[in-house]
Amino acid sequence: MSSTSQAIYAGWMEIPNSAPNERLRMRAEEDALAALVTEYASTLYRVAFSVLRNPADAEDAVQEAFLRVLRHRQTLAEVRDRRVWLIRIVWNIVLDRKRRAKTRPETDDVAELARVLPSNGLSAEQLASAAQHHARVLACVEQLPAKEREVLLLSAFEELSSVEIASVLGITESAVRSRLFRARNLMADLLKHARSQR
Amino acid sequence: MNSSSEIRSANGPVACSPPGALADLDATLRLIANLPAPAGLEDRVFAGALAAPRGGRVLAWPQPMRTRNWMRSAAAAAIVLVVGGGGWGIYSHVGQREPAHAVVMPQRLMPPGEFSTAGAIRTPQTLNGPILQQQQPLAAPALKTQPAQQKPAVKTARRKATATSETTQPAHTAKKPLPGHRAVTPR
Repeated sequence: MSSTSQAIYAGWMEIPNSAPNERLRMRAEEDALAALVTEYASTLYRVAFSVLRNPADAEDAVQEAFLRVLRHRQTLAEVRDRRVWLIRIVWNIVLDRKRRAKTRPETDDVAELARVLPSNGLSAEQLASAAQHHARVLACVEQLPAKEREVLLLSAFEELSSVEIASVLGITESAVRSRLFRARNLMADLLKHARSQR
Repeated sequence: MNSSSEIRSANGPVACSPPGALADLDATLRLIANLPAPAGLEDRVFAGALAAPRGGRVLAWPQPMRTRNWMRSAAAAAIVLVVGGGGWGIYSHVGQREPAHAVVMPQRLMPPGEFSTAGAIRTPQTLNGPILQQQQPLAAPALKTQPAQQKPAVKTARRKATATSETTQPAHTAKKPLPGHRAVTPR
């Protein structure tokens, strides 16, 4: 990124209304958006995928999140932590989409998961077996209550602290901890039960 | 990035030493959370955001008006005035008539050359209906005569009582006491 665009990005939210030229203002907005997309798109995609488990849906959710950012770019100056703010936006979008698509069958298709998983030198058979195993675990995750499941999914992101998870979900940090504790206990029971049935 | 193989989690023994089942859970969730984004995601997202219409503007203001906010305000105020004034004008011209409170009966027209009814109105007897005459039973006369027979019996009993009281009364009590003698009353 050039030095001029850096300067514009740094002061994107402080672009005065009396910009000399409308084109310059538009250009500054585009540069700022490009910087945001470059920095956070992959994080937002992973957050979206953890809930939707479908690459196309996750990409659509990221797209929609950045459209919302563009729509509310006037208020972005007041945002302290843009990363958490963006994750919160995409999280709400993803939950909304999942709620709407409840009638659709779950997208925990083993073949889809095997296609997405990194191969890491595994054979096709091993990859299919691994995908099957992960699909079983994810099916157990889906059986958790919504509050516990949300915290559990977000806790898997190493770049999110418990304070940030609390900020994304709009709850306290102690609530995050207690929900996570409950979720892991429930998951232990569910996985034991699933193993005994096999 | 955490170096440990466990997902950062809550306090407690479950989090510190995950058993085999929870290790599977951690591995799966970490795998999902660390999936690489598809190639070209940033370009597609950026292009899509630029192609989408910006904002949700209903009115496309002309170019010179965009930079002058006071003109927008003035135009908006003018629109509000015109719409509001028009509405008020219609409302005040049409108005609303209040409905009549009393119902006026139509006046009867007397046919020429005939007497009037002098305001007399026939009122049908609806409240006080015909009284049903009950047939008196055969034993009723005996019942009626009974109190008539009792009355003389009472009178005769009284007369008898007074007569006996007069006859049983002692002679000295009937006479007036002599002067100087005290009357002795039985206790």
